[in-house]
Amino acid sequence: MAVQPREGGEGRKRDFLLTAGVILGSLIVLNLPPGSQRSIRLFLRETVLSPLLEINGAITRMRERALDFNVLRAQMDSVTALVASGRTLAEENRQLREALGLLERERHRVRAATVMRTGTPGAESVFLLDAGSGDGVRPFNAVATEAGLLGQVQEVFADHSVAFDWSHRDFRASAMTSDGRTHGLVEAVRGGFREQDRLILRGTAYLADLGPGEELLTSGRGGTFPRGIRIGWVAEPAEASEGWSRSYYVDPAVHPGAATHALVYVEGADTLAAGPDSVAGPGRVVPR
Amino acid sequence: MNLRVLLLCTGLVVTHLLLHVALGLGKVAPDLAVVALLIASRALGSAGGAATGFVLGLLEDAFSVVSFGANVFAMSVVGAVAARTRELFVGDSIPFLAVFLVAGKWGRDVLVWLVWDTGSRPPFNDFALLESPLLAVYAAAAGLLARLVFARGPLSR
Repeated sequence: MAVQPREGGEGRKRDFLLTAGVILGSLIVLNLPPGSQRSIRLFLRETVLSPLLEINGAITRMRERALDFNVLRAQMDSVTALVASGRTLAEENRQLREALGLLERERHRVRAATVMRTGTPGAESVFLLDAGSGDGVRPFNAVATEAGLLGQVQEVFADHSVAFDWSHRDFRASAMTSDGRTHGLVEAVRGGFREQDRLILRGTAYLADLGPGEELLTSGRGGTFPRGIRIGWVAEPAEASEGWSRSYYVDPAVHPGAATHALVYVEGADTLAAGPDSVAGPGRVVPR
Repeated sequence: MNLRVLLLCTGLVVTHLLLHVALGLGKVAPDLAVVALLIASRALGSAGGAATGFVLGLLEDAFSVVSFGANVFAMSVVGAVAARTRELFVGDSIPFLAVFLVAGKWGRDVLVWLVWDTGSRPPFNDFALLESPLLAVYAAAAGLLARLVFARGPLSR
């Protein structure tokens, strides 16, 4: 190793100014308003990165198709049994609601979508869906898999959308136990490493003592997430505000990295007729 | 920049994008973009290094919803600083290159952490003192392997 001869003073000055200009430009990019950042991201995804995203989508779809037939068959059998038992239940429910003078439950249309993840820094909690505004997807729509709640749509474009999963710091969902007696707010807590991220249920009543394994569902409060989507199971107590409320760590139902296929709850489907045997699928209607 | 360096760096960037964007491997795949940037910067000069870092950072930030621009800033600064090492160190021996790549990747991660959104960034100790050094060694190993396999001999020739 040796010291190189120095460049000319003029050249160094020009180099310094150009370098300073580029770094200044990077600081400007860092502080651009969200709308401009969104436009730049969209431009990059639709131009330079488009072929790579196509490959990503194709690989994800191939992984879906490679699922074990026996597992799919077992899932199908479970759903068939559930739907068969629900037929009479739905009718009984309708009659009871009618007798009590209750309105019909709001229904949600779901749109099936492929989940695409990139491994770039800063995109850890973010995933892409191959469904966009043309499919009825809107910002803040809930995204779920067959196991439970995955996340929420954030940005919607014509043919795709960007969503974050429950490990994102802005994720919140109103939750309840499956018997509907205990309510609270679920949010993500960071672990030492991203793999250790989990959920925490805050704001439950101090006297409501939840045990490990208690199932948590979305309560539908606030209107963002439809009622009844599984969030996870209570793991252990986290903290207690003496006499006021308790918090619990929650084992999530969905591991975001493993999701390849999801359902987007697109909107209240007041114009779509839904039979009691409606099941989740592209354009199908499920009760809220 | 000679043709061998250009081909090596282009190959590293394309491989990086394939592994991270097309295959979505995340941290399982080494950060070859920063390896390409560090190697290219020494051939391009500080303005060229910063500009290359700017473009590569922009590509990485295409999926960043919370801290858009963090990679742009970090890669630009690393590109500029890496180019200045030309004035201090000549040659590209394997030990020098190993230290250079580890330091460059670690420096980039620390810069990203500094400008990351404070609510979503991991604890500094866990990230900068444990996770990032390991990722830096991994990236450097991958970079050295690529250098030895695809570009034998001095890069400056």
